[in-house]
Amino acid sequence: MNFAMALDYQSCIDCKACEVACKEENGVQLGADKQRIWVTQIEKSIFGQPFVSLHPSQCNHCLDAPCVDVCPTGASYFALGGIVMTDKDTCILCKGCMEACPYDARFVDDTHVAVDKCTFCYDTRIVKGEMTTACQATCPTKVRLFGDIDDEESDLVKLLNSRKFYVLKEDEGTVPKLFYLLPEHDDYYAMNSVSPDTNIYTWQEFKPIIEKAKVKREKQWKSM
Amino acid sequence: MEKYVVAGVEVNKVSLKDIVLNNTMYIAYILLFIAFCGILDVIYERYFLISATAFDAGIAPASREVAEAMKEAVFGNGGEVKREAPWSLYIVNYMYMIYVGSGIVFLVALAEIADIELIKKTASGFLTIGLSMVIAGLFTILMDLNVLNIHWMLFSPQFTSGMWLMMPLYMIYIPLVMFEIYLILSHKDSWVKKIAVLILILSLIVEFVEFYVQAKLFEMNSARHLWTTYPFLPLYFMISSFAASLAIMILYTFSVHRSYKLMFILERATLYFVIALGAYEATAYLFIDKKWAEIILFGDFKYYFYLYLVMAVAIPFSLLFKHYLNISLRVIAAISIVIGTYIGKTIFLYGGNAYPLSNRFGVGFEKYGDYEQVKEVIFFMPSLGEIAVVVGSLGVIIFIYKIVDSFFSVSLMREH
Repeated sequence: MNFAMALDYQSCIDCKACEVACKEENGVQLGADKQRIWVTQIEKSIFGQPFVSLHPSQCNHCLDAPCVDVCPTGASYFALGGIVMTDKDTCILCKGCMEACPYDARFVDDTHVAVDKCTFCYDTRIVKGEMTTACQATCPTKVRLFGDIDDEESDLVKLLNSRKFYVLKEDEGTVPKLFYLLPEHDDYYAMNSVSPDTNIYTWQEFKPIIEKAKVKREKQWKSM
Repeated sequence: MEKYVVAGVEVNKVSLKDIVLNNTMYIAYILLFIAFCGILDVIYERYFLISATAFDAGIAPASREVAEAMKEAVFGNGGEVKREAPWSLYIVNYMYMIYVGSGIVFLVALAEIADIELIKKTASGFLTIGLSMVIAGLFTILMDLNVLNIHWMLFSPQFTSGMWLMMPLYMIYIPLVMFEIYLILSHKDSWVKKIAVLILILSLIVEFVEFYVQAKLFEMNSARHLWTTYPFLPLYFMISSFAASLAIMILYTFSVHRSYKLMFILERATLYFVIALGAYEATAYLFIDKKWAEIILFGDFKYYFYLYLVMAVAIPFSLLFKHYLNISLRVIAAISIVIGTYIGKTIFLYGGNAYPLSNRFGVGFEKYGDYEQVKEVIFFMPSLGEIAVVVGSLGVIIFIYKIVDSFFSVSLMREH
């Protein structure tokens, strides 16, 4: 198993139902700055035509996660399926993982005095056999699709096989597992809405990168 | 003063009253009291400030406490640690104290090996100051961490984590420096030099590992792009720290020994490091992304950066380059370096909050909301508790030094 998520960000309507569902499902601390997932609005223009991109994001559950490497107590670790987790009981609040995360996906949970982040609902859903996350389940426009990228028959892999995508901050070398699907039907808009230096991938092109990183890190994956 | 000998070391026979009631200790007590108030404030904010989760709101919707916590979540300042600036003044002080303290130890060990007689005579005092600074740095970082979970550093060690590695290194380093002080005090001269070699090697390891760990962490954080593109980040840490170490040694010599010759040696060494720091800063910005160079040189950041350059490089260079006979000019130069390099460490850390993080889609988290004014540098004022702990760390230095000096007279120049 290797859990990942695809995001059809063009379908996002910024209703923030995912943010609310995440807080409800996982008991995340209340507060605007205490988000496991978020939607960013980016206003841009292409040749004078303004547009707004809504950009849902969260922890990228990197296969080669730097936050796991820097943690001095093992509070940041890989769970089965390559999900990056935090153990609040062993976190000493050194905040090294917050510094190391290129996606700014971590924050301090003041109720536990420890670092918190997205878990792909591992402890609340996945270990119970469910195969959806709260954010995916609640999204009215089905932006997110969570699944197992080791399973070629999974909906996620089928989707990735049918759409081009990119990942965030690829040059950090962390092999992130949030796949942003390039907008459909309008190649001109699609290519202009991302940076010219963003690499666009097909699944067949990206799969070897995933497999290589998985071989490197899989021995660190552990069950809860 | 009457003395008795313990394990070859002459120990002053001083009364408890003489140790704890003197002007130096009064200063230490005031600073430690400030630290104590800071610690109380930090503990309150960290462990007792009201906060709530979505579960609390569901389970006890009518609870007054939950209502207060929800109000705090909306109108409060967002908790002790800001997401945009996880590391703040604690880390500045930790970096400064550790780097400068271990820098003093390193330089003294080097002088021991190089047979620089005047430094050898004053080594025990310098080493005590250096060690006190290292301990003050550790005191600061301990206040920054969640001490209730700190035992996991021992019970769940991560040998590959640079931050974990610092723990065993300090556990070896600190006793070794203490042992060196003991050897100096007990006049075991042949051993002093041998251990000095060990300390030199260990200092290099501590400094390199510490610098490497910090540099690697800063490099990982793409928001700290400002400081990481230049490939010799550990070099910057080292040069600036040695300049500050020597400045502290000048100030110590001025306060304790008043030796003109010793001041001269330290002054010349300081000048070389000030020149090296200037050379680094004069070239570093050429190698970084032009957007970031613009922020440093012309943006919101410029005042901090220029202030650092003026105080850490320009003033000391102009005062030390020509060999003035006036001791007070050297002292001014040293104070300027101490303050300047502290500002340098501060802007280095807060440089991580420099923007633009990203001006394009597809690269990651954007910091600003739609209606916020875009600023190039986000500066979070540290909490009062944090400031008090940092100020109080000076009390730790004075307290440790004075206690050691009361018993062992480390401030005296002694013949080997």
